[in-house]
Amino acid sequence: MSTDPLLRIRDLRVSYPAAGGMAEVVHGVDLDLAPGERVALVGESGSGKSVTARAVLRLDPDARLSGGIELEGVDLLGLPQRRMREIRGGRVGLVFQDPLASLNPVMTIGRQVMQPLVIRGVSRRVARRRAIELLERLGVRDAEHRVDDYPHQFSGGMRQRVVIAIAVIAEPALLIADEPTTALDVRVQARVLELLHELAAERGMSILLITHDLGIVAGFAERAVVMRHGRAVETGTVDQIYNAPRHDYTRALLAAVPRIGGDVTRPLAVIGAAGNAPEEEES
Amino acid sequence: MSAHAAAKPRTRRRVPVVEGIALAVAALVVLMAVAGPLLAPYDPYAVDLSRSLLPPSAEHWLGTDSNGRDVLSRVLYGARVTLPATLVVIAASTLIGLLIGTLAALGGKVVDEVLMRITDIGLSLPAIILALGLAAALGPGLSSAVIALSLTWWPGYARLVRTLVREVKDAEYVDAARVMGVPQGRLIFRHILPNALNTLYVQTTVDVGAVMLVISGLSFIGVGAQVPSSEWGAMIAGEANNLTNAWWAVAFPGLALLLTALAFNLVGDWLRVRNDPTIRQEAR
Repeated sequence: MSTDPLLRIRDLRVSYPAAGGMAEVVHGVDLDLAPGERVALVGESGSGKSVTARAVLRLDPDARLSGGIELEGVDLLGLPQRRMREIRGGRVGLVFQDPLASLNPVMTIGRQVMQPLVIRGVSRRVARRRAIELLERLGVRDAEHRVDDYPHQFSGGMRQRVVIAIAVIAEPALLIADEPTTALDVRVQARVLELLHELAAERGMSILLITHDLGIVAGFAERAVVMRHGRAVETGTVDQIYNAPRHDYTRALLAAVPRIGGDVTRPLAVIGAAGNAPEEEES
Repeated sequence: MSAHAAAKPRTRRRVPVVEGIALAVAALVVLMAVAGPLLAPYDPYAVDLSRSLLPPSAEHWLGTDSNGRDVLSRVLYGARVTLPATLVVIAASTLIGLLIGTLAALGGKVVDEVLMRITDIGLSLPAIILALGLAAALGPGLSSAVIALSLTWWPGYARLVRTLVREVKDAEYVDAARVMGVPQGRLIFRHILPNALNTLYVQTTVDVGAVMLVISGLSFIGVGAQVPSSEWGAMIAGEANNLTNAWWAVAFPGLALLLTALAFNLVGDWLRVRNDPTIRQEAR
């Protein structure tokens, strides 16, 4: 791995205010992301993967963060809010899970895609041109006219392309994709992942893919970090994780991926069986 | 099968007839307010006691009142009084309501608490009592009525705006915009308010009718527009004694009031459907 990562997370701890004090939900996660690298952050619901990703951008004002998050050598935890705003959408883009809910229903697609540029001082004409080009690149047909449509006039897959366009139009160095395909049907899922892959390759952009679905990780990411109960239980290349998982939890997750030709009558492995407490096996 | 086929075109009727009529009436009232002096056949203030209380005729379409003034001309001029006064009240209350409501929703617990208690006080003031008080202080007149009404009307809007903004500010698309680095001001004006305000529009349009009725009501009891004015409520008050022998002098300004209020209610509802892109989609 490069000695000069794009993103370096060290001993990240995230706590939220709860009844009777603070509840820690992420207990010391380490993560490195090289420029242009695609890393998957895998785990079940509640494993802390989304919280970790949101912490990178300091999106939750209630969350208390400790540890270190460095982006391009800059310590994000120490940045004032003003500088943080430049990072959001500028250096780091974020794609949300639900493409309809994350689009403003009363703003045209074009203005939403242009917005990250417009708020950074790019003229409307230039921003509009670039929005149309980007949407076309992402496979939105007749983008020239469709930019004046509203989100409800787009299909689910097209909306997700719009959301991706918003996230990448300001040419961030890092794209965080939080379950970007969960709300989409399988065929559209594959196409959206393909597009993300292509964009990353074209722009030298790194991607942090957050997912619960190990099935989509293999074709997409180079490395994966498996999270459980707020800890990274296993880190490695995708090959390692698929072919030689070291942690029982990873093995159980892999066993849960449905396979064509697999024995569908076999009972699923019990995740979190005795002797598999995550505290005992930190990598 | 054939009955079904026959019924289908009727259910797909495209022209909203009722809304069309309402819009036409509302437009007519606005036209009256703008062009009243050009349309009115007589001077609405010209007293001619020899022609008092004439029933509707070819000469005086809506008859004359007890002072011999042409009722049609006065109704036409009345739109020039009632409508602008109503719009001032609506505009002022909307502005105050927007400011207070948005601040309360976004300003944090303490700000919210203080502003909402002030709003509660505002809500507890009856418009008519405040108008009577103001009329005593400032002298009776349309401006007292307008001020009094604006001061009592905004709390409803403040509450509405607060609720709407609170609902919208946690929407995922607002979060998404924030994630893209959109600054707070733009977040409020481009993302939160436009999504919150559809409902407010409807409320204000529907309220045109209600405010109009209160202004006329205040004029009717003598604290609004004063005697020679052709404000509709004042006209009704001036001729109420003659209701049994000259119904036209009371009925026509009353009818004008009724139709206008009804028209604005219907238009308000129609605007809601038109302004909501998701509803528009379903209507197609």
